[in-house]
Amino acid sequence: MSDHLTTENLQKSYHKHRIDIPVLQGVDLTVPRGAFVSVVGTSGSGKSTLLHLLGTLDKPDAGKIMLHGKRIDNLPSSERDQLRNRTFGYIFQFYHLLPEFSVLENVSMPGMIKHSVLSWLGNRRALRKAAQEMLDRVGLSHRLRHKPRELSGGEMQRAAIARALITHPEILLADEPTGNLDADTGGEVLRLLLELNQQDGLTIVMVTHNKEMANQTGTVLHMQRGKLIPAPEAGQPASSGIERLRLMSA
Amino acid sequence: MYKYLLCSRYLWTRYLALASIISVMLGVGTLVVVNSVMAGFSSKLLHRFRGLQSDVVVKARSYYGFPDLAFKMQTIRERFGSRVKDIAPVIEAFAMAEYRVDRTQAVIKKPIKLIGIDPVTRAATSDFANWLMTPANKKEPEKCFELRGEALKDFKLFHQNLWQHQNLPTGMMPPTVGIIPPTNIVQAQGTTDNKLPVPPPMTNVPSMPPPKVFGAVAGWGLSTFRNPKSHQDGKENQEPQDRIILHPGDTMKLMLATRDDIVGSDGVSRSQVAHTADFVVTDLFRSDMSMIDGMVVFVSLEDLQQLQVMHNMATSLEIKLNDYDRDAEGVLNELYTLFPETFYEVKTWKEIGGPVISAIAVERSILNVLLFLIIAVAGFGILAIFYMIVVEKTRDIGILKSLGASNWGVMGIFVSYGLLLGIVGSGLGTLGGIVFTHHINEIERVISKLCGQDVFPKDIYFFDKIPVELNFWMLLWVNAGAIAIATAASVLPAIRAAMLHPVRALRFE
Repeated sequence: MSDHLTTENLQKSYHKHRIDIPVLQGVDLTVPRGAFVSVVGTSGSGKSTLLHLLGTLDKPDAGKIMLHGKRIDNLPSSERDQLRNRTFGYIFQFYHLLPEFSVLENVSMPGMIKHSVLSWLGNRRALRKAAQEMLDRVGLSHRLRHKPRELSGGEMQRAAIARALITHPEILLADEPTGNLDADTGGEVLRLLLELNQQDGLTIVMVTHNKEMANQTGTVLHMQRGKLIPAPEAGQPASSGIERLRLMSA
Repeated sequence: MYKYLLCSRYLWTRYLALASIISVMLGVGTLVVVNSVMAGFSSKLLHRFRGLQSDVVVKARSYYGFPDLAFKMQTIRERFGSRVKDIAPVIEAFAMAEYRVDRTQAVIKKPIKLIGIDPVTRAATSDFANWLMTPANKKEPEKCFELRGEALKDFKLFHQNLWQHQNLPTGMMPPTVGIIPPTNIVQAQGTTDNKLPVPPPMTNVPSMPPPKVFGAVAGWGLSTFRNPKSHQDGKENQEPQDRIILHPGDTMKLMLATRDDIVGSDGVSRSQVAHTADFVVTDLFRSDMSMIDGMVVFVSLEDLQQLQVMHNMATSLEIKLNDYDRDAEGVLNELYTLFPETFYEVKTWKEIGGPVISAIAVERSILNVLLFLIIAVAGFGILAIFYMIVVEKTRDIGILKSLGASNWGVMGIFVSYGLLLGIVGSGLGTLGGIVFTHHINEIERVISKLCGQDVFPKDIYFFDKIPVELNFWMLLWVNAGAIAIATAASVLPAIRAAMLHPVRALRFE
């Protein structure tokens, strides 16, 4: 399995009241293609920040992030926007669906961002069909016209997963996707992610504080005070496709 | 694509945006109404000034006019040839008019402006014929100073009765004298209620000699009483009716001053002499300009020349050109040389009506500036509301950025939002303004009724109805201005939205 996403000595601090608060203190990470990596850690350990940096939502203070060996953290803004739109898919703890739009429109949103008006109008039937199929896959084909407020937490997260997958990203970045759900619903969402990883070979990096859930994924990384530390106990491989995970922590 | 979908969705789902739309709508609506009314005023006034006199007026500076009228007219005709369509000689004088209200003992005395005209040339150089109230005179203005039809019958009957009364043997009772309502114009105005019984013709009395008639065409304002909107009668919604009190066939006494440079047969110069002459009202005119209708009486040029001892004289020459736009400048330059500035004033109709028209244009510009300031205030309202919407939508902005929306794209959402809001507000405002403009007179009546005071007093303004004129270019400019202001007001909040850090936006609570 080839290296997909790697980081080198990633550092990030937040400035508050003229005080630097270090969040990431040199993270070296390699995520192979098709891996399902969980990052666990306590609140404030820097796992969400790591996810934001990986998905180009934020820039590191130092260090590098590379996709297929090409540095992406210093790309111009427009290319980073494209990466977020086409290469990375995001799901969040609080779903972050747009409240004024129906489920179908929310799922179509990345497609609308990708296409110009003319291109959208020319392909709208195909794009609409793709969105419907994606919603069908996550089991929401009966909820197309519903607004997010009319859905349950699990349904909203499934809609968010459909939205993240609509542009067929290479890597799915999940920020505590089950953090706001009960155990059963969270389990359903995790099963869906595992299915996507195993059947489609989708690379997933998931941040969670739920160790039980993390243990069901291919690789579990532990984050403490802005550093990745070796796992105290190995996680169970979730996919036979995962060949290796190289962890380098300073 | 997402920009347009988002801004249209925000437009219909955010009630704050409705406030912005209403503010733009009100501003645009007011601008449309004010501009339409001002344009209507301007256009109507321009049209009326155009009809008031001919294209070019040569006026003597002296109150007593100029001599050699025929020679001067001939000179102008020869000099300008086909460029001149017609020339109307005019004498303007001031007089005191005395007449009775409905032929009763109530006497009205008013200072008036007496204008001596040749009806044929006057009709050819201005809208005079159209102003005449008797339909027959509109077609034959040359006969406007003649008593005709019903007016003549009334006149004869009245004077026959009067004459007979004065010649009756002592002790005999006179027939009903005096109040004989004429019918021709009264019927045209729809006020026939004041008809009184006509006395029966008398027999075995001496016949009356034919009357000597100086004809006069009196202004509508002089000849009518405006019925107040009688609240007691519950007729508030009706147009005020004018009641004619000086009818064709009635006599009007005019007192006027003759020239004071007349030298008598003894070679001695006479001082100014006041003349009194009886005129018979042969028709009424209505120019719809209260300052004209309320103080002008037209009489025949010949009669006035005779009364004023101004044979072959006039105070002004009104020249109508065949092509004003083409020839006005050239003709004016030559007229300046023909008529020296010391003695004559040469002006175009635009120069004569200029001050009033310019005043309206200036008022219109000032109102436009003020009303655009109102829209600018609405623009600041949009800015404040958009800032609030950006704050409210911070998390949505973070979501969009996480999905790959660019800073320009996010900015585009809010600028498009402002643009759309401007378009909707302007569109509704324009629609409202057009509807308001079309029903402005009805609305004026309702507002007057609610306020208990006339919003548009007909006696103050020149018009019976509020004149309006909708102009496509005005609508375009007003809309473009309002949309530009709304869009400009959205730029700062849009920049703020675009500059939001995606992570901080996602974590915003």
